[in-house]
Amino acid sequence: MTSVLTRNNVQVHGDPGGRPMVFAHGFGCDQNMWRGVWPQFTADHRVILFDHVGHGRSDHRAFDQERYASLEGYAADVLDICAELDLHDTVFVGHSVSSMIGALAAAQQPERFGRLVMVGPSPRYVDEGDYVGGFSRADIDGLLDSLESNYLGWSGTMAPVIMGNGDRPELGEELTESFCATDPEIAKHFARVTFLSDNRADLARVPVPTLVLQCSADVIAPEVVGDYVHRHLPESELVLLAATGHCPNLSAPEETAAAIRAYVGP
Amino acid sequence: MSARDDDLTEDSPEELFEDAPCGYLTTRLDGTIVKVNRTLETLTGYARADLLGRRRFQDLLTVGARIYHDTHYAPLLQMQGTVREIAVDLVRADGTTLPALVNSVLRRGADGEPRAIRTTIFDATDRRSYERELVRARDREHEIARELQRGLLGGELPEDPALDLAVEYRPAVAGVEVGGDWYDAFWLSEREIAVVVGDVVGRGIQAATKMGQLRSAVRALAATGLEPGPLLESLDGYVRRHGVGQMTTVAYTSLELDTGVLRIASAGHLPPAIAEPGSGASFAWVGRSTPLDATLNPGPRAQAALTLAPGSAVLLFTDGLIERPDRPLQAGLDAVLAELDARRGEPAAALAREVSDALVGAHESGDDMCAVALRWTPPS
Repeated sequence: MTSVLTRNNVQVHGDPGGRPMVFAHGFGCDQNMWRGVWPQFTADHRVILFDHVGHGRSDHRAFDQERYASLEGYAADVLDICAELDLHDTVFVGHSVSSMIGALAAAQQPERFGRLVMVGPSPRYVDEGDYVGGFSRADIDGLLDSLESNYLGWSGTMAPVIMGNGDRPELGEELTESFCATDPEIAKHFARVTFLSDNRADLARVPVPTLVLQCSADVIAPEVVGDYVHRHLPESELVLLAATGHCPNLSAPEETAAAIRAYVGP
Repeated sequence: MSARDDDLTEDSPEELFEDAPCGYLTTRLDGTIVKVNRTLETLTGYARADLLGRRRFQDLLTVGARIYHDTHYAPLLQMQGTVREIAVDLVRADGTTLPALVNSVLRRGADGEPRAIRTTIFDATDRRSYERELVRARDREHEIARELQRGLLGGELPEDPALDLAVEYRPAVAGVEVGGDWYDAFWLSEREIAVVVGDVVGRGIQAATKMGQLRSAVRALAATGLEPGPLLESLDGYVRRHGVGQMTTVAYTSLELDTGVLRIASAGHLPPAIAEPGSGASFAWVGRSTPLDATLNPGPRAQAALTLAPGSAVLLFTDGLIERPDRPLQAGLDAVLAELDARRGEPAAALAREVSDALVGAHESGDDMCAVALRWTPPS
């Protein structure tokens, strides 16, 4: 049985005695997403980065359709990491779908968490009744189609690297230059779980103060959704970033880090 | 240089840009379009006045492609400075869809900071429909091979009070071609059964059909009353004559239900693991010879016989049970014995399932896996 730390490619930086700060990547990439943000917290935090199973350099063989059939499975992994590293009073920073994964984890074991930071959260992507998530079911099928189209050339060359097969070392180098590579079947599976989940009811169960970072002109998680999250969390603060798009951790790491810093204090 | 060549070299940079054989657009970092060429206007049906400063590149995409853009394309471009050959669907001004391949580079200023994004767009209508055909064909073949495999492996297992027999068969995951693992168990005579496990080289429909042929051949040869060694010799001949299944490995065993005599002939296959009451599980490295039709002159096939103690458990399996990239073969074999030891008292079905769970895990594998467990308890 591989350890949790290997399974999720956990990387620990910064002050071993500092307050734990866990960064969780969203749909579409891996812990590289945080590269401009986490170094700004190493002076006074124990910074923990990881990849969700099936992404980045996690152990892809640990991927299990049933365990990861809902976000609860990913939340269980977060709690495994917290247990393994004995984390308490953690600041959990989740991007995109990992905001909800953090919410689920905190609801289960509040004693592990001190603060949540949700970057571009959405509890429900698909419109339903009066609720506006921004997408229809057909849009999500279009995304799955996009994923399929873009993985046509994938399996032959990338599979051995991703699966940790060491007999073609030249492919390893290729991978270091190819961020966010993931198994197409896993990517589609994660896309379905992410975009078809409904975590609206879970917001009220979040037991810790939460910062909601809302981007400008974010189609994936529009302002109306960020506002919904803010209103339904028991205790939250909403900050609108000047950064546009869905990935301020990449496009505006300074602004993102400054907003987190202002929330967690010096 | 001829006058004709002069004409060509006089293509102005402006013309090269405007009428380049691909759409071209420059955007700000947030995607706002600041420059386009004529080809892009033609491809999308938008006049540049409708685009410049008014639309972002991502506004030209279908919603699905747009999610892909925001979650994959934009992050990759940020991190790598370049993204190549990404398939997206654009929506033309008239609402129709344009399947396209796009490349982007991040243009940096003198200070190294990103300033703008340059993107080229190629009409990929024909390519995309061809690729979809390929994907459909691949899925279809996979489905056929899977059906074939299911059909070929069907059938009832022998039942007898002296025998508890169960199979755990896990085909390779969806998206990966089916392999050629097979198992079989059938009556040889009134009080004797055969249990067979084999692995055909190759994947897909071909492997599945070869597996089916060999499985039938084994049954046919067994019906003539051949003992395990001579049966494999005849199977060698079959493989050679029909050119089917060279290098197949197969373990053929027969068990007398009244005496517990187990005969084994293995053509290069992994050895059966045996757990007898009161002693640790071990492999029966006996009755071994080379894979089918592996040598020009295979000679007589080895065969061995041993007598099981009442209550013994036997496990036959294929390499899918033990082969993992992160574990040496020997470690896999050791794990089989350890897991068998730990579950020796369980019913065959639980034994096969739990040993498989322990070794392969509940997660998906890229290879077929087959484990046949039996326990022999003689009539008292």
